Amino acid sequence: MILKKMSLLMAAGVLAISTIAGCNSSSTGDSSSSGQTSANEDGTVDIEVWGTNIGYKAITKGSKLYEFYKEKLGVGVIHPYVEWNGGTNYLNQLNLKIAANEMPDLFIPQQGIEDSLAKNGAIADLTDLLPKYAPNVWEAIPQEMWDVVKANDPTGQGKIYYIPGVVEYGRYAGMIRQDWLDKLGLTMPKTQDEYVKVLEAFRDKDPNGNGQKDELPTGGREQARWMDHLFAMYGVAMFEGYPEWDIYNGELTYSAVTPNMRAALEFAAKLYKEGLIDKESLLNTKDKWDGKIQSDKVGNYFHWVEHGNLILENLKKNTGVKANFTVLPVPEVEGYEGFYTMKRFAPPQWVIKNNKDENKLMATLKLLNNIYDKKNWKDLFLGVEGMHYELKDGKAVKLPDDKSSQENQLLNPYSTLATLDFTIGLFNSTSSKDSKWAIDQVTRNMKEAQKYAKVIAGDGMPASVYDSFPDINNRTLYVEYATKIILGQYPIEKFDEFVDKWNTSGGEEVTKRAREWYAKVQK
Amino acid sequence: MVESKRERALVTGVTIFLILFSIAAIIPLISVISTSFSSKSVVDMNLVTLWPKEFTLDSWKYIIDRPDLWRSFFLTVGTTVIGTILALLMTALFAYPLSKSEFRWGSVIMVCVVIAMIFKAPIVPYFLTVRSIGLYDNPLVLILPHILNPFNLIIMRTFFKQFPKELEEAAFLEGCGYFRMLFHFVLPLSKAVMATLALFYGVVLWNQFQHPLFFLQDTNWFPLQIKIRQFITDDSVMMAGTASTVNLNYNERTLRAATVIFAIIPIIIVYPFLQKYFVKGAMLGSVKG
Amino acid sequence: MKVFAFHRLKVYWPLYVMAIPGIVFLIVFKFIPLGGAVIAFKDYSVFQGFDDSPWVGLKHFKTLFDHPDFARVFGNTLMLGFLKLVLVFPFPVLLALMINEIRKSALKKGIQTALYIPHFLSWVIVGGILFDFFSLSGLFNIVIGWFGLEPVLAMQESDYFRPIYAISSIWRDAGWGTVVYMAAISAIDPQLYESAMIDGASKLRQVRHITFPLLLPTVLVLFLLEIGNFLDLGFDQVFNLLTPMTYSVGDILDTYVFRTGIQQAQYSFATAVGLFQSVIGFILVFVFNKLSKKVSDGGLW
Repeated sequence: MILKKMSLLMAAGVLAISTIAGCNSSSTGDSSSSGQTSANEDGTVDIEVWGTNIGYKAITKGSKLYEFYKEKLGVGVIHPYVEWNGGTNYLNQLNLKIAANEMPDLFIPQQGIEDSLAKNGAIADLTDLLPKYAPNVWEAIPQEMWDVVKANDPTGQGKIYYIPGVVEYGRYAGMIRQDWLDKLGLTMPKTQDEYVKVLEAFRDKDPNGNGQKDELPTGGREQARWMDHLFAMYGVAMFEGYPEWDIYNGELTYSAVTPNMRAALEFAAKLYKEGLIDKESLLNTKDKWDGKIQSDKVGNYFHWVEHGNLILENLKKNTGVKANFTVLPVPEVEGYEGFYTMKRFAPPQWVIKNNKDENKLMATLKLLNNIYDKKNWKDLFLGVEGMHYELKDGKAVKLPDDKSSQENQLLNPYSTLATLDFTIGLFNSTSSKDSKWAIDQVTRNMKEAQKYAKVIAGDGMPASVYDSFPDINNRTLYVEYATKIILGQYPIEKFDEFVDKWNTSGGEEVTKRAREWYAKVQK
Repeated sequence: MVESKRERALVTGVTIFLILFSIAAIIPLISVISTSFSSKSVVDMNLVTLWPKEFTLDSWKYIIDRPDLWRSFFLTVGTTVIGTILALLMTALFAYPLSKSEFRWGSVIMVCVVIAMIFKAPIVPYFLTVRSIGLYDNPLVLILPHILNPFNLIIMRTFFKQFPKELEEAAFLEGCGYFRMLFHFVLPLSKAVMATLALFYGVVLWNQFQHPLFFLQDTNWFPLQIKIRQFITDDSVMMAGTASTVNLNYNERTLRAATVIFAIIPIIIVYPFLQKYFVKGAMLGSVKG
Repeated sequence: MKVFAFHRLKVYWPLYVMAIPGIVFLIVFKFIPLGGAVIAFKDYSVFQGFDDSPWVGLKHFKTLFDHPDFARVFGNTLMLGFLKLVLVFPFPVLLALMINEIRKSALKKGIQTALYIPHFLSWVIVGGILFDFFSLSGLFNIVIGWFGLEPVLAMQESDYFRPIYAISSIWRDAGWGTVVYMAAISAIDPQLYESAMIDGASKLRQVRHITFPLLLPTVLVLFLLEIGNFLDLGFDQVFNLLTPMTYSVGDILDTYVFRTGIQQAQYSFATAVGLFQSVIGFILVFVFNKLSKKVSDGGLW
């Protein structure tokens, strides 16, 4: 009898708890998107901002970074913790919020979501708002880039729906061990033949001096990425290992299906066969490959020039060697014009919610305007004293990463509106005495890399050209064929099969759309 | 009882095989442990295989010094314990009638349970439904969605079905009702399956990250696995001018290794205590008595 | 008799009360959300919501079936599902029977604890370990080097993918899978063994005539549950073992959908594929459940 009562009570209890929890939470979970919200006592308005967060703390009301942003930028920024996870989780969470009618006020779009947001009227039309209320943003980005953004309007009305990211300089280059060249008495290679000879010397002549044949002349990472320099010499437009769109034979074409790509893959396969590329390249994760570079094993790699200082410092810590990397000029190949791909357009940076709440909309524009004010950039970079940086001998030095105490420095315009001079200036002003040698090497290389950078024709193309062809967008077919050709599992003749398959599975349609876009932009 | 030589050889062979298998099972764990105790340079250069090199406690010190990690740890212990107890009760309560042939709805519900197990709801409707009952940004979301799992339910029902009928008949004749039957007789004699499900539910609760990922906004309520994921840097994002980390003796990989071990240790400690329930003859004497 | 039946009916009602919390749970957490699976037949957009998104019938299923890679992806899924059922599934049963024969309790406990450990390492970690194991400087190549063979980068050779899949499944989850069987074995009346030994039965006979038959209902139930998830191979495992070089044998429905559906937040398509997998799984369970009823009293309903 008692037991029966107890069980019934328990079942009731469980249901009760859930209901209580339910009542409590549903009253606080409402969105406040309609009507006027009350501003804070000091007249500022709070808005919710979403962006990239790789593990730092959220920005909550009253926190240090919240106060800092309020003081410098005049707006209260609330930034909840949303795991980034390569963007997949972020996109998912964003969609869930939209489904629940709780879209953030300002956020970074992903995977082309800005197109459906614009078509559904969920984000604000910025064409007139920006010049009027956020002139710093308007003027910071060149007119011709705004014109492309207008051409990308999915509703076809030439309106601006997102703020693009801008990189005004070439960020990528092949980097080669100058100290190895010096040690072996070699000059910097200019042609492809000379380059191959240098690779062979790296492989055979033990430049790292440890008596073992453990050198990896060059290499890359999984999915045949980050070996762009091998493709660059054939004029293949490639961005971080992903084939891009450029002019081939007078027409905008996907570089992966051009004869240039065929030649490049053939070359890469040859290098692989002769052991001039790390045999594990196509299995290398970022950690693995960086580890090999930082173990004094790699002669030539391809990556962000400005991250070279991390590599240099780790190399020194691991092996004691003070390496000297210089920019590898794109080796000349007869009949091809080589270059390192540069894109001025970074993925769209910000979209603004089509806020019914006037206060919030204005606050968002005000925030953006102040973010893009160059006077604030140094402060934004440094962050909160004691949390993100400290004063050492009167100089501000960034503190090491600490995910459990540092709040996410969400607003970092210097990386979304990057210029060479500012980035170099940032490095120089915040470097410590110990790392000066590395910083100097990196800034030297950054300037040198500009000689070989070329902006490609497909710069700024919207993701919507790939609509309903996710496999083309994902390069699934390309990656499968390219990796197997390089490894020698497929003969180079298979390349022609790849081009056919690519065209028939949607590539032809996508190419048509891309060329239409290009024609529109050219006007 | 004389054992033939053949039998002895068989048992020895089996024992050796199991020992080898066990070694193969633990080796990767040892590798992870070693990584957590190695310095970052050595790990970076891929030199650590089985034993730590350049032994250092720095990665562990970093972790142990994090108050938010400990808070998360104890929170997870709490939700796991409470959640497991609730889950066991909930599952037993449901499995018992389902195991009785006199329960008319039994077959229909079992089909529904199998459907619930095989068909997975898409994330958006699931999110909206759970949210509508008030579990958004509510720590109860760490417990309630987990208190009934179709797979576990079916296992318990299978066990209940094999419960000796003579016992139940005897109890009925003495005027015992179903509730009393369940709580006084069946459960105490089902220690093996209860321990099994305690393990299953416990591990799920301990390792959960999907629910907190989607439903919790306040990071103070983050359970262990999500907290740990925070330590893993996302490689896809590069920021200009990141601070120098040269002088630290740990890096992402060593921290990752240490956090993995940190999360596993409690489970490994708890398991041997549950083992005593898997002893043969748990029902000894019950039929006689 | 009628009086007796009426009396029994009065006694049955607690069973129905007991079932209530479970039913409520199933409805709230499983069946209401499952109703949302209808988006597989719509072009679901988060802006228009469930009701307003347009109906497109079987469009997403057509997209799936018409894709040039569908045959390959589906074939791989079947192949791996088959491997899982035939090779991986029996292992925990065998292991449980073997562990049961260990007499020294300390050794027994040690082995069991050791065997459970791999299950707690996520596939991300296990994947990393496997890649290391098969790397040029990894254990695999060191050992085959002893036999004078050239090093092989197994993770990029399609011939190795399926064996690695099966073996890693066994390695990681077989030990954990013994839990249920150990519990079932512990419920067997030891008297049965005693009388068998008195009759002079050898260990092997005991296993054949006592242990295994009494274990059968449990094995059968677990087999049915496994079949229900036939096409659901465990995305985590395959995703972490896959490389583009092994797509031809390793790309399965789940990884394909991840690239084309989930990463791009194409909920309708992803749901359609999931529905397809579930329907096939359910049909299989239905068929095998009927079959199992003929063999034993078991079965799921």
